[in-house]
Formats: sequence, structure tokens, C-alpha cells
Amino acid sequence: MVIATDIEPQEPPMIEVRDLDFAYGAKLALEDINLKVARHRVTALIGPSGCGKSTLLRCINRMNQRLPGAHIRRGSIRIEGHDIHDPRVSLTLLRQRVGMVFQKSNPFPKSIHDNVAFGLRIAGVSDPVVLDEAVERALRAAALWDELKDRLHQHAHSLSGGQQQRLCIARAVATRPAVLLMDEPCSALDPIATLKIEELLGQLAQEHTVVIVTHNMQQAVRVSHDTAFLHLGRLVEHAPTAQLFDNPQQALTEAYLRGTF
Amino acid sequence: MSDSPSQNPFIATDRGASLRRVAMAWSLRLMTGFIVLVTLAILLHIGWKGAPVLFKTQAPFVNTAFLSKLPSTLHVISDRDGRVIETDNRGAEVLKKQLGPNLREEKTISYSGGGILGPIVGTALLVLVSVSVALLLGVASAIYLSEYARPGKTVELIRLAILNLAGVPSVVFGLFGLGAFVLTAPVLTNSPLERSLLIIPLGFAKLSFQGWDTCVLSGGFTLAFVILPVIITASEQCLAAVPQGFRETSMALGATRWQAIRSAVLPFAMPGILTSSILGIARAAGETAPIMFTAALAFKDKLPWQRDLPALAADASWWAHWEQSVQRLLGLFTESVQALPYHIYTLAARIPNNEYAQRAQYGSVLVFLLLVASLSLCSMLLRRRLRRKYKW
Ligand SMILES: Nc1ncnc2c1ncn2[C@@H]1O[C@H](COP(=O)(O)OP(=O)(O)O)[C@@H](O)[C@H]1O
Ligand SMILES: [Mg+2]
Repeated sequence: MVIATDIEPQEPPMIEVRDLDFAYGAKLALEDINLKVARHRVTALIGPSGCGKSTLLRCINRMNQRLPGAHIRRGSIRIEGHDIHDPRVSLTLLRQRVGMVFQKSNPFPKSIHDNVAFGLRIAGVSDPVVLDEAVERALRAAALWDELKDRLHQHAHSLSGGQQQRLCIARAVATRPAVLLMDEPCSALDPIATLKIEELLGQLAQEHTVVIVTHNMQQAVRVSHDTAFLHLGRLVEHAPTAQLFDNPQQALTEAYLRGTF
Repeated sequence: MSDSPSQNPFIATDRGASLRRVAMAWSLRLMTGFIVLVTLAILLHIGWKGAPVLFKTQAPFVNTAFLSKLPSTLHVISDRDGRVIETDNRGAEVLKKQLGPNLREEKTISYSGGGILGPIVGTALLVLVSVSVALLLGVASAIYLSEYARPGKTVELIRLAILNLAGVPSVVFGLFGLGAFVLTAPVLTNSPLERSLLIIPLGFAKLSFQGWDTCVLSGGFTLAFVILPVIITASEQCLAAVPQGFRETSMALGATRWQAIRSAVLPFAMPGILTSSILGIARAAGETAPIMFTAALAFKDKLPWQRDLPALAADASWWAHWEQSVQRLLGLFTESVQALPYHIYTLAARIPNNEYAQRAQYGSVLVFLLLVASLSLCSMLLRRRLRRKYKW
């Protein structure tokens, strides 16, 4: 008899975290994390603040290693089966494959066009035709093209807060990353701007694998296919969102979801 | 309706307190006023005395000779009819012959005749070299200290040393420049001097540590070290003021550390850095001691590009002409110059004081002030333009 498996053996998961221990100096922030994220899914990371959501997210594109003392104690992270901590890995190539959107929208004080083209310019693309195409594609992906196509050369700071955050999304997807990491991208936005970004997430998942940190559990329910619950640096439960919210397997998850912590 | 003081607890009983408050405010006001007054007095005095030298009542309203001639000795000749004529060396000879026995008196006042083109050009060149060198070195080390170096004891020590550099008397910088740039800095040459400290043969030429001699380059480098502390400190502050998010974002987009700094940090810090260089310009233009031993002469009858070179034969090749032109152009950096502050010092302290010397003095000081003010204005305008482009 053949046992069917979820994941075909020839296709490794998009992101695979194995036995990860991560520390800031002496302080262990993540402990024994094991997590597999499949292609084209939106995965929400939830948990009380300080539990290590951002840390885990920033491990996936190695943004944490900038900080003095921050290091991986144990374990590995693979993107499409490739170890991202191989000493030969170029951070530039890795980060073109794994894009990131931050909590605070932070467009550069440049034009809209130059903001979106930034990543490509860094990668050495200078052909204006290629850049213009990429900018259009990225702005469409961020549902900004129709609003902004006539004002691409205006200063990015002339945009509203929600538009600025969508501009940051456009900037991140302009290099066509396979993975898009988002750290509480809506926490500084008003409800309407938040709604627009949530709508966007479903579309983004058609081209990208999205991992989103959120402190808003309704948002996790609305936007994600899978949810991972972290507590005190440990991954408590990881399951399809509906299942995790309706029928949590761990007592800790249930307590957190009910708010009786 | 009004309460008596005993009923209303808010009514002041201590009249002394309000008196003291008023006295305090007034004494601060007076001290500030005093400073404003003195500054105004200085500026008005210079303007009052300098304007007649620099400006004229008829078109073109500017004394062009004063701005376009080199300094020279002034001859003041008076004849027995009571006429007084001011002229230069050559004019004096002709005039004396003409007047013959009618000549009553001839006064010669060194450096006070002609104009001040030499010092203006010299100061402009010194400022140009020193500010370029200081910006390059200063911004580079500020980037290193605030973006690359690991924060810690060593970096703090370096910062402290740089701050201390700002307190070093400028004459010490002059001596340092003399030792380092005039007498020791390396040059490429085929025929090193005998006093060269070290000669490294390179095949095509020799690298000789014999110094650059007294020249714009030596003086400019020396001045650069005078203004470096200001520029480094200000650049570091401006870099720190750029939001951390810009660095993170650009690195998350794949930028290397240097790419992030170059495209997402430095452009936004530049307006502030330029502002600090305004201070640097004024300082570099105004210093006398650092250039006294390194670049400036009390008197020079040539502009830096008017170097003496052997006359070329009529049929000399274009190459020979070209070579001489290049040598003349290089004179901008390799020749010694006159400089405004040193010229003013010479006029004020090294020649007997009289109305003619004073006239040259005030004219020079006014030109000097206007020059520094317009340089500052330029960098302020540049800063405004950059600010508008890169505001956040
Ligand atoms: N730069 C840092 N240096 C030291 N400790 C940190 C740093 N960033 C986060 N931490 C610690 O790591 C733990 C996880 O933080 P974080 O990942 O930011 O949590 P979350 O995003 O879930 O709120 C916290 O206890 C926090 O104090
Ligand atoms: Mg966080």
C-alpha cells in the first residue's frame, strides 16, 4: 500500500526551518523551531508580543545577522531546499529571492518610480525600458498602478499612509521575490487602508509565498491559509488557519485564542 | 470684587521676586544686545571704510582695478603746486622725470598699491583644495565611524581624538603642515632632492619623500586638517539623523552595506554635511597661521598660472606648447600664492601705518567678508536645492 504524503518528495517546501535556535548574545529568542511553508500560501505568524515572531521572520532573509551578537545556535533554514547559511551564499541574491515589508512604511525620499526601481538598480539593472516595465508590473501587483500611473515622478511622500505602505510592497515585489516577508504591515494604518492591503494579500499569494506577522487575529483568519502560533520563542502549533482557530490541538493555543492567558 | 491679599492665596506677597525676575530678563537682554551692537559696529566700520575703496560713484560702480590687479608698491608723489598723485613703480619714474625740480616729496608704501587679485585667487584656491580634501576625508571617516566600525572603546577614543583636534592652536597646524606636506610628502620625480627622506624607485620614476614645497596643495591639505574635526563631527550627526529604516530597507532589497549607504543614506545626509562645510569654508578662508609656512607669501607679483617658463622657439612643436600649458595649469596647485588673511595681516602689521596702507586694508577686509559671505550663500543655495529633492 502506498501512503500519500502532503508534499511531493521531488519538490522541497518553499521555506523549511529545521531545529532552529536563535540567540541575541546570551539571550535565546527562538528555540527548536521546525516549520515548513508550502508554495503560494499565506502563512500568518501570531503570538503575544516578544514571543519571537519578528525574529523568526528576519531569520528567513538573514536580516538579523547585522546585529552584533545575534547568531544561530543550532539548526538550519532552507529556501527551496537550499541552505541559506552556506558560506558561499550572497546576501544580495538571497534577498532578491526573499523580499521584506516592514511595519513602518518607509519609502525613500525619492520619486515613486525611483522607489520601486530601487531593488533593480541595486542589482545592476539600468535599462530604462526594463525598469519602466518592472515598475509598472510591481505597481500593478500592489494595486497602485491605476492610482499612480500619471504621477510616477512625484515624491513618494506625497502619498497617503496606506499608499506608502503599498508602495513599499511594490518596491519589495519589483525584484520578483519568491517569498515575501511582512512584519505587521498594517499596524500603523487605518481600517480602510488595512482592508486594501488584506485584499492585496490574496493576489500576492498567486505569485509569491507570503509569511505575515500579525497581532490581529481576525486579520490572520481573513488573510492566511496557514497559521503558526509562537509562544516564548517556541512554535506551539502550526496548522491550516481554519483548523487552528476552530479546533486548536494545544491547550496553550486555545488559551491564547480565547484570551484567557 | 477684588480680594484682599490675605484672602486670595495667589496674590504675590513677595514683591522682590518679581523685581528679580525683571532684572534677570533685562540683564540677559542687555548682554545679547551688547553682542549685537559690537558685531554691527564692526561690520558698519568695515563697510564704511572699505566701501570707498571697493565702490565708485560712477559706472561701473566697482573699483575694477582693485579687483583685477596684483598688489604692488604705491608711490605717492606731491609737487610744489600742491598736487598729489598716486601711481605705481613705472608711473613714478616717468612722473619724476617730468616734474624735475618741481618734485616736492615722494612716499612709497609697500603692498598698498594696485589691487588684490593675487590674494583673492590664492584664497579661492586654498578654500577649494582644503574643502574638497576635508569633505572627502571627513565624510569617508564619518561613514566608517558611524556605519562600519563596531561601536566600542576604540571608536570612542577615535572620536575623542578628533574632537581634540579641533582644540589644537592653528599655528601648530601650520608647523605640522610644514613638516608633513612641505618637507616630507611624497612626490613622483626623476631627480629627487638631496634632502629627500626616502626614495623608492618605481621603474618609470622615483617616489621621493621630499615634500611638496610651499604651495597651494601643501596649504590646502594643512587647512583641510584644521577643518576636518568640524566636518567629521557634523557628518556623523547628519548620518545618524537618517532613519535607520532606510538602511534596513535597502539591505532587505539586496543592497550591500556600501550600496545602502551610497544610495539610501548619503544622499539624504548630504544637505546637512554641506551646511557644516559652510563653516569649514569660512574657517579655511580665514585662517592665517596654517598657511604662513605652507602656502602663502607676503608678496608675489605673479598669479599661480603665470609661471616663469623658458620661452619657446617660434617653431616649437605643439607638444612643447601643450606641455607648457599643462605646467602653467598645474601651477594652480604647485605654486605658492598670496592669501587674503595673510595680506591683511601684512598690511596691518608689517608696514608703517598710514592712510594709504589703511585704505588697502579696509578694501581687502571688505572684499574678504563679501567673498566668504558669497561662498556661504552658494552652499546654502545648494543645500536648499538638495533638501527639496531629498526631504523626508
Ligand atoms: N535586537 C535585539 N537585541 C536583543 N534582543 C532582542 C532584539 N530584538 C528582539 N529581541 C528580543 O527577542 C525576543 C523576541 O523579539 P521579537 O522577535 O521582536 O518579538 P515579536 O516580534 O514577537 O514581538 C524579545 O524578548 C526581545 O526582547
Ligand atoms: Mg515584532
